[in-house]
Amino acid sequence: MDGWAGQRLRIDLTKGKITKEPLSLEYRKKWLGGRGFNSEVIYSEVPPEMSPFDPRTRVCFGVGPLSGTAAPSTGRVTVSCKSPLTGGFGDSSMGGHWGAEIKYAGYDQIIVQGKASKPVYVWMDDDKVEIKDASHLWGKFPRDADTMIKEELKDEDIHIMLIGPAGENLVRFACTFNDVWRAAGRTGHGAVIGSKNLKGIATRGSGSVKIARPKEFMEVCNKLRQKFKNDPMKMGLYELGSLCLINYANRDGWLPWKNLQFGGTPLANNMSGETHSKTVLKHREGCYACPICCGRFTSIKEGRWAGEEFGGPEYEHAVPTGPRVGIIEDANDIWHNARLTNDLGMDGIETGGVISAAMEWYQRGLITAKDTGGMELEWGNEDVVDQLIQDIAYRRGFGDILADGASRASDKLGLGHEGQYYTIATRGMTLPGDDPRGLGFGYGLSFAMGTRGGCDHLRSLCCLELSGALYPGLNTKYLGDERPMKPTTTAGKPYMVFYEENQKAVTDCLNVCCFTTHWSYACLTQDQLDYFNACTGLDMTLEEFLEVGERVHNLERAYWAHLMSGAREDVVPERFTKEPMPQHVDYQTNVGAILPIGEMLPKYYKYRDYEPGTGFPSERKLKQLGLDYVADDIRPLRKKYLTDSEKKKIKYYY
Amino acid sequence: MSVITKQQEKMLSEMSDFFLDLLNLLKEKGVITNQEHRKFLLTGYEKLVEHLEKIKIISSKDANNAMKSGFTSLVSSLAK
Repeated sequence: MDGWAGQRLRIDLTKGKITKEPLSLEYRKKWLGGRGFNSEVIYSEVPPEMSPFDPRTRVCFGVGPLSGTAAPSTGRVTVSCKSPLTGGFGDSSMGGHWGAEIKYAGYDQIIVQGKASKPVYVWMDDDKVEIKDASHLWGKFPRDADTMIKEELKDEDIHIMLIGPAGENLVRFACTFNDVWRAAGRTGHGAVIGSKNLKGIATRGSGSVKIARPKEFMEVCNKLRQKFKNDPMKMGLYELGSLCLINYANRDGWLPWKNLQFGGTPLANNMSGETHSKTVLKHREGCYACPICCGRFTSIKEGRWAGEEFGGPEYEHAVPTGPRVGIIEDANDIWHNARLTNDLGMDGIETGGVISAAMEWYQRGLITAKDTGGMELEWGNEDVVDQLIQDIAYRRGFGDILADGASRASDKLGLGHEGQYYTIATRGMTLPGDDPRGLGFGYGLSFAMGTRGGCDHLRSLCCLELSGALYPGLNTKYLGDERPMKPTTTAGKPYMVFYEENQKAVTDCLNVCCFTTHWSYACLTQDQLDYFNACTGLDMTLEEFLEVGERVHNLERAYWAHLMSGAREDVVPERFTKEPMPQHVDYQTNVGAILPIGEMLPKYYKYRDYEPGTGFPSERKLKQLGLDYVADDIRPLRKKYLTDSEKKKIKYYY
Repeated sequence: MSVITKQQEKMLSEMSDFFLDLLNLLKEKGVITNQEHRKFLLTGYEKLVEHLEKIKIISSKDANNAMKSGFTSLVSSLAK
């Protein structure tokens, strides 16, 4: 077996049963790994109408054929489930070293199903797998539970996936960590894991990954490592982490200020990568086999949070509970909030998203202190934000309402359409901290189309738009046109999103970090194919390789079709289409921009071969991708979606 | 002999997003097959240009220009 381990591990917590299932070569070629394996299992084994907290539901952890090899940045793990936040398809990805360890233990995927009768954790010691008591770990922060498990198992070199208190308390946007700080943030799988009474999975692997054509493989890896040495994005990410984006985002008007009412703030530099590096950066951290090393470790030295330390933050982690909620004057507050959401085990984006939505409801008089238990939700009030983060994690008071995410909270409070207007979300999940009126219209289109809901800066990842200017000629190479690198144009964006979605899906199937394949274009799609073929011994063509991405994307889209989610739900928050971007920073470049989503969607549908009426993948497309059974599944749903009763439903989440 | 008309060249050059329409047109004219249409949709512009050069629809010089200047140069070559 070259590349893949060739088997997956299935853990049934209800029965205490552990099984190993072989994965055929045909299956591996069809789905590649990671996201592909997981999406296939979610589609096949988790009925869309099932509650995400039903014990029968699955949570999957997938790695790819390159995981555990010397190929750059191949340490990622995809976590997938039916999302308790959106009710639809959900997945997320995390870095760290756990992915390689899973592979060394001999697995390509772990599927967890059932529910333990009391808190447990799983101990995978190569092929020996045990379910162990975790009563003493319940309620602990991941950092403490990680230390305790390592002491218990007398091995500090093992790698552990864990949830925090928010997952245990079924906060619908709880996330998962490995190596304490590397988070799979989105779609709320931490709550699904918590609902199964599972605290974590500790793993020790002593095996290796067999490479089919080692000389050829190492040549590709060495070539790529040389390219990374001088790559402009790599240098920025190494020096400043993803906070390197702060000043660019502020200049180009996509840094969310007060729930995206504005695209920047004059004080943005307070939290820039440059400032962070000078003031609180303790050291850099890299994930498995990473030539970039973008991870930060922060140590707060001054003020009320002095002495706090944590791994992070990332741009998308710092921004939501920083400028998005009006905090910018003292960056230590932002670092503290990021530390807190990490320790409690929550997705920073949804945490900031639901608090900022609540602040805007409060600003506009839709809610008052009577609704919040007496809290005055003033912008920039750190005491309130600090309190709310904790109240959400422990489901206390007003925090209990917010713990269901922004869209559900709006409905629970009875705020109607106006409340939803200020939830900057699609399909029930808050969008990341990137205003597409400045970041780019390609991102805007991908926010409407993401197959995991309110996203996605990591689904299409239109980096031909974001970092295209650093790589002259790259837009032409793929799209035939340099115009699409301009953020605020629709030119070439439908094809860009189609191309990038497929490419990103393949990257997620290989479990390679997108910072090495999108942000930084030191590694191109052909390079990925070269190391994949050398590793597995296959001779897949570029077309076959990218077709896997298209297949995975369409399968996920079909899962949503089962939930009657299609063309009517392919929208972005109305703020982007109705409110021209106001000026808030002197040098802002995107004043007056609005997102012309309607100009891009029809063409995008044509690239995807989605039916114009339903937005479902066409039967022709599904059959072309070898998904005949999916075509059969959704055939009866097409008519149903177009009925008057379905049309009347207003859906914000499922 | 030109593969596309001047009118088609003009239409494509003025498009905000041209790639699918260009592939459709090339398929209609019999320059690429159904399977090749699918292949280039997935793999992108460069692969299409390489193919058109390989089957001698455009010259090496045209192909270089198409990669340097983008699709407006390509459609101009196709209309020559």
